[in-house]
Amino acid sequence: MKKTRYLLILLGLFQAVNLFAQTRFVKDTLESNGDSVVVTATRTERKLNNLTVPVTIINAKTIQQNGSLRLTDILKEQTGLNLTSGFGAGIQLQGLNPDYTIILINGEPLVGRTAGVLDLNRIALGNIKKIEIVKGPSSSLYGSEAMAGVINIITDASMGAPLTIGLRYGTYNTVDANLETKLQTKNFQYQGFINSYNTDGYSIRPNSNSRVRTPIERYSTTQQIKWDLSSQTNFVLNTRFTNEQIQNEIAVSNNGVTIYSIGKEAIQDLNVSATLNHRFSKTLKTSLRTYTTTYDAVQNLLTINGLPYRDVLNHNFKRIENQTDWDLSKNIQAVFGVGAVLEGVKSSRYDSEKLRKQNDIQYAFTQWEWKPTEQFTLIGGVRFDQNTQFASAYSPKLSMLYKLNSKHQFRFSVGQGFKAPDFRQLFLDFTNAAAGSYSVFGSAQAQQVIARLDALGQIGNLFPNYNLLKALKPEYSNGMHFTWDWKINPRSAVSLQLFRNDIKNLIESQQVGTYISGAQIYSYLNIGRAFTTGFELEGQHKFNANWSLSGGYQYLRTGDKDQIADIKSGTVYTKNSQGYSRLMKLNEYVGLPNTSRHKLQLKINYNSPKGYYLNVRAIYRSKWAVNNNNGNEVFDNGDVFASGYVAINSAAGKSFKNGISFQAGIDNLSNYIDAANLPNLPGRTFYTSIKYQLQKK
Amino acid sequence: MKMNLRKITMGLGLSIALVACTKDEETIVVPVSAITVSNLAADTVTGLGVDGRPQSAGSTTYYSLVDNKVIASTDAASTKWDIAFSSTKILVNCGTSGPGIGGAFVFKGLFDDLKTIPVDSSFATDNSNAASYAIPLGSGRAWYTYDGLTTLVSPIAGRVLVIRTATGKFAKIEILNYYKGGVTLPATASVSDKLFKQRYYTFRYAYQPNGAKTF
Repeated sequence: MKKTRYLLILLGLFQAVNLFAQTRFVKDTLESNGDSVVVTATRTERKLNNLTVPVTIINAKTIQQNGSLRLTDILKEQTGLNLTSGFGAGIQLQGLNPDYTIILINGEPLVGRTAGVLDLNRIALGNIKKIEIVKGPSSSLYGSEAMAGVINIITDASMGAPLTIGLRYGTYNTVDANLETKLQTKNFQYQGFINSYNTDGYSIRPNSNSRVRTPIERYSTTQQIKWDLSSQTNFVLNTRFTNEQIQNEIAVSNNGVTIYSIGKEAIQDLNVSATLNHRFSKTLKTSLRTYTTTYDAVQNLLTINGLPYRDVLNHNFKRIENQTDWDLSKNIQAVFGVGAVLEGVKSSRYDSEKLRKQNDIQYAFTQWEWKPTEQFTLIGGVRFDQNTQFASAYSPKLSMLYKLNSKHQFRFSVGQGFKAPDFRQLFLDFTNAAAGSYSVFGSAQAQQVIARLDALGQIGNLFPNYNLLKALKPEYSNGMHFTWDWKINPRSAVSLQLFRNDIKNLIESQQVGTYISGAQIYSYLNIGRAFTTGFELEGQHKFNANWSLSGGYQYLRTGDKDQIADIKSGTVYTKNSQGYSRLMKLNEYVGLPNTSRHKLQLKINYNSPKGYYLNVRAIYRSKWAVNNNNGNEVFDNGDVFASGYVAINSAAGKSFKNGISFQAGIDNLSNYIDAANLPNLPGRTFYTSIKYQLQKK
Repeated sequence: MKMNLRKITMGLGLSIALVACTKDEETIVVPVSAITVSNLAADTVTGLGVDGRPQSAGSTTYYSLVDNKVIASTDAASTKWDIAFSSTKILVNCGTSGPGIGGAFVFKGLFDDLKTIPVDSSFATDNSNAASYAIPLGSGRAWYTYDGLTTLVSPIAGRVLVIRTATGKFAKIEILNYYKGGVTLPATASVSDKLFKQRYYTFRYAYQPNGAKTF
């Protein structure tokens, strides 16, 4: 398979006899995204300019010219987004953890989160048309997890080049190969995409005397079929499959004692969606969607001593949904939706890996858009989710747009988002034999399990909060976003966004008792209250037809409201350098861990009429708290921080008229490494790639 | 001079609670004052086991708060010691730990703010058979937290161990540090440092020799 792919590329090269470049039309004004069609914000097709909520669009050209391979590569270069590590690479949006952002592919959610994190390295960017990022609670349309926002990856459904081949080679023997085919008859369209990603992995960890290799082999394929049954009706079938093998050969040496372990992880991820669209009239259309997805992960770890460790997670999610769009009048448009979800998880961390834990959800939503004048749009929506395993949730949202004139636009949105308790919080049954035999029990069965242990005489103490254990409520967030877009002139634009999210019912693990041995017993309770607030400033300027500069800055403040109340009431202490305790002051409090106060990115871009391009991107992230080491439960100035850093990435390339393009790039130019806090950032890496698009005759 | 005198008097264990200052200064009544004990080794690590856990002799260091000195382990079954240390475990001379009439509880607050032991406070005793100790074992419970990621032990801020000595007098202790030299290691310290520099207690205490519950 691989060989044939390389051959095809060679053939493509031979075809490239006419390597002359032709002059293209290049504008010296900003390429406005304003007319781009966005689907995520309202679940209907709307121009970016007419949206009432803040949306970022990343288009295919940006992804390609930045040399981004995986979803993480491009997201970390966006304003307000930070990469997190631990359980794969997740994304933090406006200070909220990866758990609170829903990730969609063509509108359908991805599953398979470990400890709330969806590993975004799983998603190849080969055949992506664009990525839409909606900031702010969007549960009114998407239900659970859409608390901080929505990231929707939209695959390329256009009928362009019938065949595209790409090959990329980089540091650590990283090979990424793509093959994309498109076929079309009168009422039938097909797109197929295959991606293979192989890497030897890298080692940036200290204390390992041999190189830690984490080779990864990843294959993913997407197939899309669109069949026009009539001029009013079409059928779309989308499939996506990813197969991933990760190997860890770890050798850790301490004072002459070396511990070897071999880990093998196998992950399979399958998504299938089938949609039937029908248009009754110019003002009424409906679509019936079915979606099923399975995520299957097996991790085996063999060490020279101790028992082999096996971790199994199988998550499936089935959904059926109907959405009807009805334009009631010239300036009132309504959307109605109703759906049902069957979701189940099997895991070795629950009482039995053979037993499937199940949750059923039924939901309905509606959204009304009112546009009394060209200048003003108001959208209101609400969604109701009813669940079998936890309390129901209402998610309202109200948003508006006001276009003052051709230069100034204002958007304001307020809404409530929620995140359902996950299966781990409900059903975990985990005892850590290695570290003091503590146990964590999911809230849905904690009382039963503990009562059973108590009957066996194993329970020492039960704390008062044991009696509070019950079905968890969803976590709620109230978000407010205000955006001001200002087009200063045809070459410059800025936008300012103020945001605030207030979160309550945060689910946190808390000790509820002890074993007779003194070992702790934990479960999950709705206890936390937190906030994230700040502003984002984005701007772009075009110097001339070739050169442009764009950038974004986020200022972020976060905090745990209960901790702040404790600090104010004088019950939080800290230690001075001698180890003496003293009262902590509010101005020493730094907020939630893993959040940085400042994030800045700048991009210089060059595009020539002859098809040459060059970009240099710098990303700065200020320090963030990672560990609590001065003896209180809150994060303050005396704690352990990861240092702020700058990463500089650059790519350059040329595309020829005959469909061939070349690219070369460097990531992390300054070779910044922080093994403990940034395991996803290898040192300086290089890559080069070639791509051939068969041109339509 | 004042400090030295204070230390000497305390060190001798004399029940002199009043220290007079030079005549031109105002006379200050200082009931008891704090003593700092540094680098007290408590079952230090000898190596790393095949299981990846630290190995040690399993010894206990006995300490007299009255005399401010280490007591030989041959005197473990006597009332010469008041408090004993073995890695993160702290014992008091009572119950299964010793023949004394000791006891302890954990006070949440500042060392200097604890001027009088509250009347309603109750002193617990050690019972190793039920794995129950006056100063509870485990991370986040009495005086320290253990971070599994950094493998570091940090004393909890605002925790005072209130001790009833072997002979029924009262003392208060604040654990300041668990590492050699009295400085908690950085998270990035070498595995070797984290192993061999731990289990060295630095703590400060105040002992009230007159039997009162005030400091």
